[in-house]
Amino acid sequence: MTIDSMPAVRTGEPPAPSGSPAPVRPERPTWRTRLTRADMRYSPYLFVAPFFVVFAIFGVFPLVYTGWVSLHDWHLIGDHTFVGLANYVELFADPDFWNAVANTFGIFLIATIPQLLVALMIANLLNRALRARTMFRMGVLVPTVTSVAAVGVVFGQLFARDVGLVNYLLTSIGIERIDWQADRLSSWIAIATMVDWRWTGYNALILLGAMQAIPRDLYDAASVDGAKPWQQFWRITVPLLRPTLVFVVIVATIGGLQLFTEPVIFGFGRMQGGTLGQFQTITMYMYENAFQRFQYGYGSAIAWTLFAMVVVISLLNVAVVRRMVRGAR
Amino acid sequence: MGVRRRVGVATVAALTAMGMLGACSKDTEADSAPASAGQITLVVDSFGDFGYTALAKEYEASHPGVKVQLRSVQKLDDYKPRLTQWLAAGSGAGDVVALEEGILNEFKTQPQNFVNLMDQGAGELEGNFLPWKWELGKTAEGQLIGLGTDVGGLAVCYRKDLFAKAGLPTNRDEVSKLWPTWDEFIATGKKFQAAKTGAKGFVDSVTTSFSALLFQNGETNFYDKDGQLVADSNPTVKASWDTVMQMVDEDITAKLQTWSKDWEAGFKTGSFAVTMCPSWMLGIIKTNSGPANAGKWDVAAVPGGGGNWGGSWLTVPTQSKHPKEAYELAKFLTSPQGQVGAFKEAGPLPSSPQALDDPAFLALKNDYFSNAPVGAIFGTGAKALQPVVLGPKHQAVKERAFEPAMQAVEQGKLTPEQAWAQAQRDATKEAKL
Amino acid sequence: MRLWRTSPATYLALVVGIALSVFPIYWMFVVATRSNDVVNDLPPPLLPGGELGANVERVFANEHAAFAYGLVNSLVVASVVTFAVVIFSTLAGFAFAKLRFRGSNALLLLVIGTMMVPVQLGLIPLYMLMVRLGWNGELKAVVGPSLVCGFGVFMIRQYAVQAVSDELVEAARVDGCSTFRIYLSVVLPALRPAIAVLALLTFMQSWNDFLWPYAVLDADTPTVQLSLSLLATAYYTDYAQVFAATALATVPLLVVFVVFGRQIIGGIMEGAVKS
Repeated sequence: MTIDSMPAVRTGEPPAPSGSPAPVRPERPTWRTRLTRADMRYSPYLFVAPFFVVFAIFGVFPLVYTGWVSLHDWHLIGDHTFVGLANYVELFADPDFWNAVANTFGIFLIATIPQLLVALMIANLLNRALRARTMFRMGVLVPTVTSVAAVGVVFGQLFARDVGLVNYLLTSIGIERIDWQADRLSSWIAIATMVDWRWTGYNALILLGAMQAIPRDLYDAASVDGAKPWQQFWRITVPLLRPTLVFVVIVATIGGLQLFTEPVIFGFGRMQGGTLGQFQTITMYMYENAFQRFQYGYGSAIAWTLFAMVVVISLLNVAVVRRMVRGAR
Repeated sequence: MGVRRRVGVATVAALTAMGMLGACSKDTEADSAPASAGQITLVVDSFGDFGYTALAKEYEASHPGVKVQLRSVQKLDDYKPRLTQWLAAGSGAGDVVALEEGILNEFKTQPQNFVNLMDQGAGELEGNFLPWKWELGKTAEGQLIGLGTDVGGLAVCYRKDLFAKAGLPTNRDEVSKLWPTWDEFIATGKKFQAAKTGAKGFVDSVTTSFSALLFQNGETNFYDKDGQLVADSNPTVKASWDTVMQMVDEDITAKLQTWSKDWEAGFKTGSFAVTMCPSWMLGIIKTNSGPANAGKWDVAAVPGGGGNWGGSWLTVPTQSKHPKEAYELAKFLTSPQGQVGAFKEAGPLPSSPQALDDPAFLALKNDYFSNAPVGAIFGTGAKALQPVVLGPKHQAVKERAFEPAMQAVEQGKLTPEQAWAQAQRDATKEAKL
Repeated sequence: MRLWRTSPATYLALVVGIALSVFPIYWMFVVATRSNDVVNDLPPPLLPGGELGANVERVFANEHAAFAYGLVNSLVVASVVTFAVVIFSTLAGFAFAKLRFRGSNALLLLVIGTMMVPVQLGLIPLYMLMVRLGWNGELKAVVGPSLVCGFGVFMIRQYAVQAVSDELVEAARVDGCSTFRIYLSVVLPALRPAIAVLALLTFMQSWNDFLWPYAVLDADTPTVQLSLSLLATAYYTDYAQVFAATALATVPLLVVFVVFGRQIIGGIMEGAVKS
């Protein structure tokens, strides 16, 4: 598949240097043209090389090692024996794993969809001629800066059963207090709130960066044609943002399916995700197995399965986004 | 082309920073390599404050050629994964490594990672430790991997003002007499709840009571003496379970989870009157309750006798390059005089009977807790404990199988029967090696 | 330049949103100025107290945490990482967006794939690698793996697809510019807002990273987050001290924000110039 959707982007054809239109010229090429040709042929590889060199040094070994471990019955600080795909077989029949999968997807859905819509709206607001623009932009990004310790304490205070601010407000308008941790849905909502609080501004900023590349004259022309701001937003801004939207959706998918920090904070640092595992995510289950039960092989199998799931879901999401954004045009 | 200039500036900044990279990293080599003849460095890994600063200096003075480096991380939650990582990677751990009781039990299943201290002649040290503490340092096969440092002897901390409101006695001796048994403890709780003091519950949670009960009810818990999981058939477990289920049933708990926000805040707001407190918990209660509640707390005996929660051991990982010297250091730090020294510096409750009889320890009082003679109370409790055989995954079974099940009953999510079944299922899962 | 008119309702929405965003960090500053036990008060304290000086003093007096040293180390690490990530990402992102080469799609997918690896499990093999390299305990062990930033490459690539004008690239080629020259004089200026966003996010991420620095560094070469974790006591948290330190640790981020934030605004002003 191609990630992009912009017509300007090429797919992987054989290198046809864009600058020189012609096939081989009759005259003998000068050293200069040869240099230019070499530049166009090889410099793309030089440009992407630094990333891949660093990745080869620091990224490949952990990835391969984890895959190798996942084929073993591997005690974290003890023995290991090769078991082939037995960990994966066991995993697919493990109800606790599927419970974690359901939780992860549930939280992902109720957190990510509103998050991206709100981020888009915030970015649009911040893209206008505002007073105190820097202040607003800084404000939006503050949650990303806030330390995990502070987030934990503040949200602990918000969603505590007896002393929580949210329950205080609920009871003052006559609604029964909620034991946020106890139920599946209430715990998901609380965690989704934390996730959205932390990451909406982050996505808004990325979208804002892309919005600023949209030429103003497009809007001016639309205004002349009598298009209302909302029409301009859907007809100009959103379609032109498509590459960045695709990016944000993939990043949100990766982050959402690897959700870890927020539910761990919500569960007072424990990996079980509530008394019945009602908010245990896949990554928490992976961590619990590898580092608390010391079943490193099983934990690695979870990691690779999660990796595969992220790939599949990202592809699906990209397809959906492309369809939706095209529909809006 | 403002960008290019800025990039130039950034390059300079980055290069400068690169240069600093070298400057800022610590020179490991100079520290650990034997620079002069026979000079070695022993690294001690611990969490929190073990009170070893002065002892390390003393040891260096009496052992020329040995340098002691204390490495400490403050939070136990941070300490354990890193230690595990060092053991898994076969490198990085200190020469002497402190293990808290929960970690120790799990690491005992992989004794090859630790030096058997019996081989270093530790057998002669047995009399330096409370018998149960000594036994817990051994693996099922009888290898000794840890020498005890401190213990977490249990007492009950209670709110005098809430007791007075409920018409209960407030003097610590009379309070202790209220509950020689757990039945009487529950009866007191019902009386307290009936008095409607405004507190949510009599006791904060069921989980700590469960731990105390397990320790008191028999010499084995979830595992038998051969290391087989018997959580479903051992009467000790069932009896302890039934007692805490009765506490839930009689509605005397505040249904709080230890370490949760509500639990922390409950000390200040007075949402419960009683909590099981090991000696190290006193500081936490003081912090959570705040100066406004000074003098409202006091310390009394645990129903049914003593109990233990927490405490550590010193071990020597096999990856240490100086196991012999590391053992000598561990021996010094856990000796009776070492424990008294640590106690004087940071206050952990000693695990050595000689240290527990030290006058400095016995005289200890805590003014925040109404001047309770905490040294005598905790020391007596710790000495009264009998050895209990804990299986390899004892802590995991207790904390990750039984405690969530009990809390699910408190939350009204499961019936006691369903919870028992869930605990058994999870226990089997946790016990897998 | 006239953009859309901004109604009072817009301002109201933004102000409410900002208030929600800012509250926890504001509250962190409040706790930093008070004594330790107010964290559990209900209702929580909303106004600063007078303990800030004492709390900050306690932070710097805590020899074990080496807080000042941690600040310096983090500044070094985050600057190097940010600079390198921006360079690597713009180079590769530009190549993926605007240059044709064999295998580019497969390589791009590989870049995206690197983002999908769950970090927690990589810790042990990565640590083993650092031990083998002899880097453990040193700052370069933190810098190295942070340079693998598929996020940056992908982000810049998606942005450049749209923001870097094909006509300008072609025109520069016709003028005989080398690809690198085009990168410097056409691509980098066009990417400025995105670079600012990426630099900001990378710096923040590097600054706030705890898991890996904690795994590979010692307490005697801490980053700022490591110093923060060394402040807490064994079984309970001295919130006033921790929050005072956290507040101090946040100040450099705010400074960085102002610097890069300017760049983002700069992007707006120059937006009209583009083709």
